[in-house]
Amino acid sequence: MDTSKPAVLVNGGLLRGYVGQRVRTVAQVVRPDAGGLTGRSTDEKQIDVKGKMPAAVTTFVEVIGVADGPQSICAEIVTNFGDTFDANNFNQLCRHANGDFRHLFI
Amino acid sequence: MSSTSIPRQVYLLASLNPYQGNWTIKVRLTAKGPMRHYNNTRGEGYVFSVELTDDDGTQIQATMFNTAARKFFEVFDLGKVYYISSGYLKRANKTYNCVDNDYEMTLNENSQVEEAVNEPVLIPETKFNFVPIDQLGQYLHKKELIDVIGFIQHVSSSMSIRRKVDNEIVPKRDITIADDTIKSVIVSLWAPLATGIGNKLLDMFDASPIVAIKSLRVSGFGGITLSTITNTIIDINPNSPESHKLKTWYGSEGSTTKFEYVGSTFKTGLINDAPSLYSDRVGLDYITNNLSLGEAKPVYYTTRACMSFIKTNQSMYYHACKTCNKKLTNNVGSGYSCEMCKTTQTDSNLRYVVSAKFSDTNGEAWMSLFADEAQTIIGCSATELDNMKSKDDGGAYQTQLKKATWVPHVFRLMVAPQEYNNDKRQRITVKIVSPVDYAAESKFLLDDISSTQS
Repeated sequence: MDTSKPAVLVNGGLLRGYVGQRVRTVAQVVRPDAGGLTGRSTDEKQIDVKGKMPAAVTTFVEVIGVADGPQSICAEIVTNFGDTFDANNFNQLCRHANGDFRHLFI
Repeated sequence: MSSTSIPRQVYLLASLNPYQGNWTIKVRLTAKGPMRHYNNTRGEGYVFSVELTDDDGTQIQATMFNTAARKFFEVFDLGKVYYISSGYLKRANKTYNCVDNDYEMTLNENSQVEEAVNEPVLIPETKFNFVPIDQLGQYLHKKELIDVIGFIQHVSSSMSIRRKVDNEIVPKRDITIADDTIKSVIVSLWAPLATGIGNKLLDMFDASPIVAIKSLRVSGFGGITLSTITNTIIDINPNSPESHKLKTWYGSEGSTTKFEYVGSTFKTGLINDAPSLYSDRVGLDYITNNLSLGEAKPVYYTTRACMSFIKTNQSMYYHACKTCNKKLTNNVGSGYSCEMCKTTQTDSNLRYVVSAKFSDTNGEAWMSLFADEAQTIIGCSATELDNMKSKDDGGAYQTQLKKATWVPHVFRLMVAPQEYNNDKRQRITVKIVSPVDYAAESKFLLDDISSTQS
């Protein structure tokens, strides 16, 4: 596992705490934009993703990149995560990764 | 031998060690166990244990066997102070000893026990550390003993359970208690509590007495149940603040409240008569650490695990009768015959009978798999596997089995103890195989995390 560029697991609400840092999240695609897409985070907040998208985008995507604003990510990697995804489970994961169990995450 | 006029050098319990034998201790007897008869591979005899506490508060368990047991059982009285010397120390065996000390003591017939007659007798009050019934879930797979307090909702009649290990019949009685967390739990009383206090509770249960119980084991047979051990203490209607508080609550709301069994929110219970895949979830280490599971009657659990190893040179299937599935006798040269159906047949069905090792995050266990379950895990029928085995160098056969390893499944298991060459073993059989529903498993894990956190 390449640990040279760690990315923090965030949801919409946690993103603002990591502006300037590398983050990763899963969002539901709301609509494509010029230069990227608008997404909805697993805690129902808007996330703007800028960067190169895959040709065809599924309902859910994983975004890894640098947070360049309280609700915006400059994406390095965007991966299709399919059309079924349990947003609640992911959201709880983000809370654990940034809360009581942060010492278990890079 | 011992004289009260010679001043004694009394040692503190904390200073004792196995390498220095000339000590005398001055201790109060804070707990006295019953005299028990044992019969194991090393022989038979009598044993009883006591808990000794010194001025410092240090405690140690002392055990006596046979002659020493008979000699000292009448001498030791709860609450009295004794001078003891010539005992022998060794590392504590935590299976039989719950006292907080690295060492335990054995007294033999040469040990000296003398009552300190000038000391006041102080019978210690049983110290309880009650766990509210709705919190019992977090003690589920732990060795820790817990205390509970609740009022009696129900007392069962006395049951006779045959202990497979020595064929002895032991009495058991189940009582249901509930507290102000609106949850109830079944407590299994084993002998002698099943008959002694058990009978008493049966007579008084109309009055919904309060019971405070110390030292219960938490087990998870279909929900959560508590079991008594040799040292369990039960106080009926104790004169304590917790007891009064509960009595008052019962008087005002408790008698009309509807209670739920603790553990039932863990999605136990049946859906369309089939157990839910999230009920009775355990790790493999829970099963393998408890060789007496399923002693009276086989028990069932669900678990998520991967097959980690399958012996490729075992005979994984047998020739089965096409009608009744029993193993056929091979009449060499003239086909097969079935003992059950009394017929002869020229061909047969190949049915799986497999033994494989399974692993999960905490442990591993060997399990038996048959027919459909084995087919699901191996990924092809026994006939197809047999064909692969005889084809070429058997490469396809090896690959098929290798592909079957390290694939997670959810299993429903049946567990019972088994005697094998005088050795106590465990038989674990896979009854149902189910694919993993990742979203549901994640949710289950998250629920588990939050219940251990609270």
